[in-house]
Amino acid sequence: MTISLAVPDILVARAKTGDLEALEALYRAFETPVYNLALRMLRQSEEAEDVLQETFLEVVRSIKQYRGEGHLWGWVRQIAVSKALMRIRSGQLRHTDELHEEYVQAGPGLGVGGVPARIDLERAFERLTPTSRAVVWLHDVEGYTHEEIAERMERTVSFSKSQLARAHARLRRLLAEGGEAQ
Amino acid sequence: MMHCTMDDLLALRAGEASAWARQHAEACVTCRAELEALYQRVAQLKALPVRRPPRDRWGVVRDAVVAERRRRRERWGVWSVAAAAVVAGLLVFRPFWTAPVAGAELTRVKQQSATLEQQLQRYEPEGRVTSGREAAVASALEDRIAVIDGELTRMGGPAPAVDPAELVKLWQQRVDLMQQLVSVRVTRASYVGL
Repeated sequence: MTISLAVPDILVARAKTGDLEALEALYRAFETPVYNLALRMLRQSEEAEDVLQETFLEVVRSIKQYRGEGHLWGWVRQIAVSKALMRIRSGQLRHTDELHEEYVQAGPGLGVGGVPARIDLERAFERLTPTSRAVVWLHDVEGYTHEEIAERMERTVSFSKSQLARAHARLRRLLAEGGEAQ
Repeated sequence: MMHCTMDDLLALRAGEASAWARQHAEACVTCRAELEALYQRVAQLKALPVRRPPRDRWGVVRDAVVAERRRRRERWGVWSVAAAAVVAGLLVFRPFWTAPVAGAELTRVKQQSATLEQQLQRYEPEGRVTSGREAAVASALEDRIAVIDGELTRMGGPAPAVDPAELVKLWQQRVDLMQQLVSVRVTRASYVGL
């Protein structure tokens, strides 16, 4: 599914003056891509909704600082990524992280946590750790470089690269095991 | 036979693979298939369905923004009272600065400003309908008033001589902006029948 992310300049100009109608129009234009990005990174709907809310509060507060360099979506996305990564770093998702690790090591065919043996890519992706999901999504789907990911995650480039490799190895294994269990 | 690792496959995809990995992938059917599977996985990830938020959070965002603006206005109110007090103090303790005419004029514009503040309190937007356009205009006016209040406070500080005419000019600017702000509020209040 493709969503148009083009926003008229006049709308941005009105939003910069604090016009609530214009700000709502921006919210409507970006709520789905922001939510989708956060959901893919965090997996949990409520977490993604919170990121959506935090992102737009930040957008409203900082829109005057947007200088029109690059697409507005790129600017909004940076804020959303930052908010989502903050949640991953804060350890709020640590518990589920550990569960995922355990699950991945046990293998989907064992039915840990009532997960069906056959899984598609979407479900396999959801079973990665939050950090791995974030790296895969940012690199493979959003097009971030390892350098950009490392900077935003406050880690090294090699960390980003190794996370991506491990994540793909896991995806491959999860999908292969799911296929064999059919 | 040694095959490419996932690191090698990712490096091949990025065009950063070692000479060995490139040569091996060309010759090895298994590794070529793995590389193709990697491309396929990424393509499928990009094609995952878009998920939409289950609930509308705009109301929460809007309420938070309106509340922030109200708090800001209240802070400015305190600021402007402080600025008025400082200027009044200056007039009392440094009367030699102010020529009688300028002093009278200053008193007049300050009274005007205070009256407008009171008027504005009566039309405070708490719980009332506020259009985006009105909020934007009011916000811009409030920003400009805040700048003037900041300047008045600065002039009332430990700075040396303050030109009374300059003070009158600043207060007059504040009054003009306050009049516009009251006008915006009154127009909106009339519109919604308040």
